[in-house]
Amino acid sequence: MATRAILRGKAVHGAARDTAHEGFLGHRHARWAKVAAAISLIAILAYALHDPLPRPNGGTWLGYGLGSVALLLIIWLSLIGLRKRIVTPRPYSLKAWTSAHVWLGLSLIVIGTLHTGFQLGWNVHTLAWTLMMIVILSGLWGVSAYTALPQQMSANRGEMTQPQMLEAIRAIDRQLDSAAQPLGREDAGIVRLSLEQCDIAGSLWQRLTARQPACGNRRALDSIAARVHAQKQYGRPDARLQQIQFLLERKDAALSQARRHIRMKTLLELWLYIHVPMTFALIAALAAHVLSVFLYW
Amino acid sequence: MSFVIRQIAKRADGGDIIRTRALPGSEITVGRGTDCDIQIADLGIMLRHVRLVQLPGGRVAVEALGGVPVAIDGKFVSRADLAVVDNPAIDLASHRLLLSPHEDGSIAVTAERVIAPVDAADAALETGIFSLGEAMPSKRAMAWIGALLVLLGLLGWPLLHFMGEQTVLPGAMITAATQPGKSPVAVAGTGLVAAADKAAFTPDMVWSTGGLSSVHASLSNNCGACHQKAFVSVTDGACQACHKPDALPEHAAPDRLARGQLPETGVIGAAHRQFGLPAGRCASCHREHEGPASVTTVAEQYCTDCHAGLNNRLPDTSLTNVPDWAGHPQFRPRLVAQPSATTPLFRRAVLESTARENSGLVYPHDLHQLPRGAVANMAQKQGLKVGPGGALGCGSCHEPDADGIRFRPISMEKDCGACHDLAFARDGGTLRTLPHGKPAQVAGIIRDFYLSRSLAPHVDRSMPGLQPIAFARRAPGRLAEAEAIDLGLVSPAQARGRAEAAVAAVFGAKGLCSECHAISSASGRPVVAPVTLGDHYLTRARFGHKQHRIFDRKTGDAACVACHTSTTASKLASDVLLPPIATCRQCHGAPAARLSGGSKVSADCNSCHSFHQLLEPPSLPPRRAAFAAVHRRAGFEG
Repeated sequence: MATRAILRGKAVHGAARDTAHEGFLGHRHARWAKVAAAISLIAILAYALHDPLPRPNGGTWLGYGLGSVALLLIIWLSLIGLRKRIVTPRPYSLKAWTSAHVWLGLSLIVIGTLHTGFQLGWNVHTLAWTLMMIVILSGLWGVSAYTALPQQMSANRGEMTQPQMLEAIRAIDRQLDSAAQPLGREDAGIVRLSLEQCDIAGSLWQRLTARQPACGNRRALDSIAARVHAQKQYGRPDARLQQIQFLLERKDAALSQARRHIRMKTLLELWLYIHVPMTFALIAALAAHVLSVFLYW
Repeated sequence: MSFVIRQIAKRADGGDIIRTRALPGSEITVGRGTDCDIQIADLGIMLRHVRLVQLPGGRVAVEALGGVPVAIDGKFVSRADLAVVDNPAIDLASHRLLLSPHEDGSIAVTAERVIAPVDAADAALETGIFSLGEAMPSKRAMAWIGALLVLLGLLGWPLLHFMGEQTVLPGAMITAATQPGKSPVAVAGTGLVAAADKAAFTPDMVWSTGGLSSVHASLSNNCGACHQKAFVSVTDGACQACHKPDALPEHAAPDRLARGQLPETGVIGAAHRQFGLPAGRCASCHREHEGPASVTTVAEQYCTDCHAGLNNRLPDTSLTNVPDWAGHPQFRPRLVAQPSATTPLFRRAVLESTARENSGLVYPHDLHQLPRGAVANMAQKQGLKVGPGGALGCGSCHEPDADGIRFRPISMEKDCGACHDLAFARDGGTLRTLPHGKPAQVAGIIRDFYLSRSLAPHVDRSMPGLQPIAFARRAPGRLAEAEAIDLGLVSPAQARGRAEAAVAAVFGAKGLCSECHAISSASGRPVVAPVTLGDHYLTRARFGHKQHRIFDRKTGDAACVACHTSTTASKLASDVLLPPIATCRQCHGAPAARLSGGSKVSADCNSCHSFHQLLEPPSLPPRRAAFAAVHRRAGFEG
């Protein structure tokens, strides 16, 4: 891969490390992918060969079996929250654990759904299944985000670190502040829009879209640009305003870069805001599911 | 008169840098502009923002220059007159000016930034901007809220309801449950289902694992009706609260049922014993919460579990083992072994070509099924039901019962009497008919008739209307007229002699009764052999004749004969005309491709059998009981 990239004339960063790197998905020649596939296959075969009447459900011996496996899996999968806080090397490295978490979690789609016997309704049991699916699908989203986004993030940020992005914006702010000192009240007020009413990140929606139409810097840039343009109609525009406009444009570019970065960071994190709380709701729903089934046996 | 200016700036390490300078004169200006005495680099401040004028008596006049008010001790004013001894404070955007008396009557003005600038990249700020925490409620909070909502709403609330629930069984359902013969669908049509649709919500309904069967639908919000105790599986007692044991008879005697069951082994058996779930409970076979048609859909394996090897556990059983439909043994119909008006004997025999029945009746099916000949002619003349070929129709005698399952019992008067007429004379306009099934009365009526003729000899013999006994089969009254003969009786003694001869002829070997009955004599009196007609051959099963009225694309009599193939060739009433089980297998259990409809026909046990079936068939139907009683009174015991 690295060789091909070189032949294409593209820059290769850390080629040696790339070849040595093995992601958590393919950990140990995709050991856990194979395990998960085997478990799913066994479950599907058992379900196909099992012929209970009047119809398959969670209360047959296979149903109880699949349900027990699913329950234990869910509890183990949720323990990754504890495990990731303790960094240990072999034999059960966090990478191995994460690999198993992802693949066994995916096999839960098969196990959990077969446990239902495809009997879904408006009840606590189907709620548990629904929450489980939400957790798994949000996890799938997370895995895909972790696969695709880091490259885009690298491309966007260039060589800049997060503090450097912030520092760049602040440096422009300081220059704007100095440059605006000689200005009159009205012009200074416009510059203050950029300095004081410019939220880099903003709300969740603004983070996700990387767009802030009402951003103070944008408004300030528009106003100053209009003024400069108007002045050009009658002669030489105010050099101080031109300087301000230049600074505002630079700030706009810096903000755009930072916001694209924030957008991708948000996508990298947002799935966890579904994955984690839904996991706890799922565990609660499982408690209600198991208890109610045996309470009303 | 002068001002002393002290401008304080913060150092990076937190310390203060104080720059002090003295300004002569009684007036200073404060603002962002470079021409101001105190220059403050804050875009929130005007180029020339405020002017301070020193007044006599230790006072200072404050005047806002740009029209933007200043805040003095929390109040926004454009103009103010302040006493320096009070140490007044003037707020200008991010800065504060503190006035205080200085030595030599001058005034000290301390300018300090009080609102820190947004500056210096610190880690907390970076986290807030680049990670999602600031824009979202915390994961921990959401996890708590979600989990608690689920636990309280879907576990706690239903649990509270369960603990406080007072179960009342709906009366309409209990009534319906006492009608075991009614199909669930028929019961469902009584409005119970509609009531369930409107059933009010109860919190524990969220625990339901699926829809109830249609017959139980109105219990949807009444979980406690069946789930009576926590962590105890639904008991038979809960079922029998509505389904009284009388309405649903036992499948077999309880001890035999217990011995006949296949003992559960292995993990599942151990688990069932551990959790108090013995086999043979109502719920072992009847599964609920599986949708509308579920509760009466019982798996075939529940039957064959026991019946596959029943004779191993019940050596004295009269039942043959049934491993499955393909291994179902040949039918063993209940045949009449010995007819009797009161206590007929039945015997179950395997349906083979040698199987014979002894009903006591003389009846050749073949003769009655001929498309041409005396029977067909008579049937057509009488306007009886005839088949397409002109033969007497099956339905002429075999009339379906109300359920369309079996047939109304055969009655001589209704089913045979149209042709086998018992009229023996026409007296004026009155048709004299012998009563069927009453031999003693028959003899009496004949004797009375002859005697009356001898005592009334002066009848106008030219008058038609008095006919003799002539028991040839004919349309009632018709042929009799043509055979009119003068009886010519002159004395009662002669009449008695002719009467006895007539009685002997009626009951004789070639007499009227012997056409259908076996006649013997005891102590000089004729005895008509009793007749017992089988009305339920496969007593442990239910064959819906109505459902099979179209068979192999045939309808009507052709459909009957398509299964009962030997009927048209049967010369004796002792022939058993039931079709063998192979006939059933032509459709039931056959591959769908072989069937004209293209869809598979069920081969479940409960297509024919019912678990909750009476062990013995019901007693004689009322009509036959009455017949038997008459025979008994007349002294014609079987």
